[in-house]
Amino acid sequence: MMSADLAAIAIDGGELPLGGGLLALVRPALDALRPGGVLAVLSSSPGLRDDLPSWCRADRHEYLGVETTSGGADRHLIARGRFSVPRPMAGGAAPGPAASSETESSGEIVHPAVADPASGFAPRGARLEPGRPDYPFTLNERDRVAPPEVAQLYAQAAAAQWDAARDIPWSKARQLPGPLDAALAQTMTFLAENELSALYVPSRFMAKIHPAYAETAMFLATQLADEARHIDLFLRRARLCRGGLGVSSVATAQSLLSLLTTDDFMEATFLLSVLGEGTFLDLLAFVERHAPDEATAELARRARNDESRHVHFGLAHVRHGLARDPALYARLESAVRRRAATLQGIGGVPAPLQDSLTLLAAGSVEPRAVSRGHDAFQELLAVMHDSRIKRLGHAGFTPEQAATLSLLHTPNFM
Amino acid sequence: MYTKDKKDKEDGILLGAVAYDPKVVTIWEGIREHFREQGVALDLALYSSYERQVEELLAGHIDIAWNTPLAHVRVRRRTGGESRSLGMRDCDRDFRAKVIARRDRGVRGLGDLEGKTLAVGSRDSTQARILPLHFLSKEGVRVDRVRLLPFDTDLGKHGDTGASEIAVLQAVQEGRADAGAIGDLIWVTEQAAGHVDMKAIDLLWTTPPFDHCMFDGHPALPPAKAEAFTRALFAMRWENAEHRRLLELEGLREWLPPREEGYRSLEEALAAETRANG
Repeated sequence: MMSADLAAIAIDGGELPLGGGLLALVRPALDALRPGGVLAVLSSSPGLRDDLPSWCRADRHEYLGVETTSGGADRHLIARGRFSVPRPMAGGAAPGPAASSETESSGEIVHPAVADPASGFAPRGARLEPGRPDYPFTLNERDRVAPPEVAQLYAQAAAAQWDAARDIPWSKARQLPGPLDAALAQTMTFLAENELSALYVPSRFMAKIHPAYAETAMFLATQLADEARHIDLFLRRARLCRGGLGVSSVATAQSLLSLLTTDDFMEATFLLSVLGEGTFLDLLAFVERHAPDEATAELARRARNDESRHVHFGLAHVRHGLARDPALYARLESAVRRRAATLQGIGGVPAPLQDSLTLLAAGSVEPRAVSRGHDAFQELLAVMHDSRIKRLGHAGFTPEQAATLSLLHTPNFM
Repeated sequence: MYTKDKKDKEDGILLGAVAYDPKVVTIWEGIREHFREQGVALDLALYSSYERQVEELLAGHIDIAWNTPLAHVRVRRRTGGESRSLGMRDCDRDFRAKVIARRDRGVRGLGDLEGKTLAVGSRDSTQARILPLHFLSKEGVRVDRVRLLPFDTDLGKHGDTGASEIAVLQAVQEGRADAGAIGDLIWVTEQAAGHVDMKAIDLLWTTPPFDHCMFDGHPALPPAKAEAFTRALFAMRWENAEHRRLLELEGLREWLPPREEGYRSLEEALAAETRANG
């Protein structure tokens, strides 16, 4: 019915006058016809003999005439005009015949290789009335925006949403002795600051993504919701500490600024989701393992689950890009080098973070415990490096490339 | 005054239009930009009445006037048919007027109009006054026996605003008139918008077709300018988003070449009016 190429349609208008609802039958029927296709309107409304020709003139269809049927009703014939014939979306060279609605109705998502600038916010598969304005979306190529897995990742993310207020056993949060209380507050302050950057960085790109790749925007929406929840989560835990929030270091501020000012979507995804959030998986596992209470362990565990989806998206995005664009590796490496250059002089892990994680792992300020905490922190750094290399391998980098990139990654983790 | 040998200006085409609505500026600034892209320099002179615009065209102060049917017929007559008709909107062809009536006033046929109140538009509106009355009288209706309820809004604009047609429709809907005359486009668009109570109002009659607006060129308009004008004009496309915005404002889908036969009935009506006025 909606294919806009039918040659003839008949409708029964009963006694409906033109201004009494008849057009709700006539207009959709005409829209399903190809130009010149004929619509027969059966009617017992006498006024239509005058009104239908006038309406056809106003709407640029050709009124062919009226005949009386054997039953005594009128049969009006209208030839569909040639204006405003809806067209399919232009889809570039998508796999298969075309990125048409038929392909999509089978449940399989077909992203066009290049998006139609005039389709705007029309959902993929809708037919477009011509004469529409172009939209200024700049992320309009499939290989730069929409990895094949993105719809599945969105579905998983939508199903896995949870509530920071309800789903954490907050009553099990423990009051800690002074230095450990401050260490936990510092860790939570750091996590919240970094998650704020993870909220803002993808949002810079959302409005640039062509809606033909809506699944990517929708996935990012779940990512933003996740980050919002994490910010809430970490700040709730920090505020349960007696001493209030910790310090924000210049090293962290500089590192996150360099992330925020990355202008390319693929580079930003790589820096944020593959390298940054990937590294955070190990950090959150560390916090969970050394958490002083059940509430803290649970929030770290749940945040890590969410982050792993973001890492998956980042890996899929980069892997898809690397497979199709041989020049991408060089661009990503230079993005990492550029960022490392702006962070020169920062040295190692920001001191407040290193100290708080050491004390968190020690669980005590007793020197032997602190020594164990120190070792655990050093081991964390090694684990982070190893997993980055593994993750980069999954994304499609060679072991040499992976090692280079991992070493260049920010000491701020994110 | 009609200046037959107007002095040609070097600096492009000067077009006259009547500013019946603020959107007229939007429309013509947009079309001017389109002409510029087509390499045709077009400038605009706005008037507040078609009477003044016709005089300015005849005096050679403007090259082309965007005219109502009444203004077009006057230009044809005053130039002895030597003006250059250049183009019209698709919707200007086969215009018709509608006579509508309240169902509760016993108006079942045109003959029933005598003794009844008929709401009509401005006295310079072709579709809501001049031609409906002309055609009714050709159908044998004694128009002098019909009580006219005129809405002389926007005189000089020749019914362009549609205000008088809306007033006619309202008068009939509210029962201040038994019947009314309006253009077919207003009738069907108001119906399509759900503004007409079809239980209270019925269509009585549709007039024969007539043509509406026209671009009238001065008789001395150089052929190259006329050709440049029509080339740029006819290059506008409904499928082009920027053109569509302008075409929609001006109420058309495409510009069409001129034709004269659609103005015969108006010429007759005006001649009859002149005879009646002695």
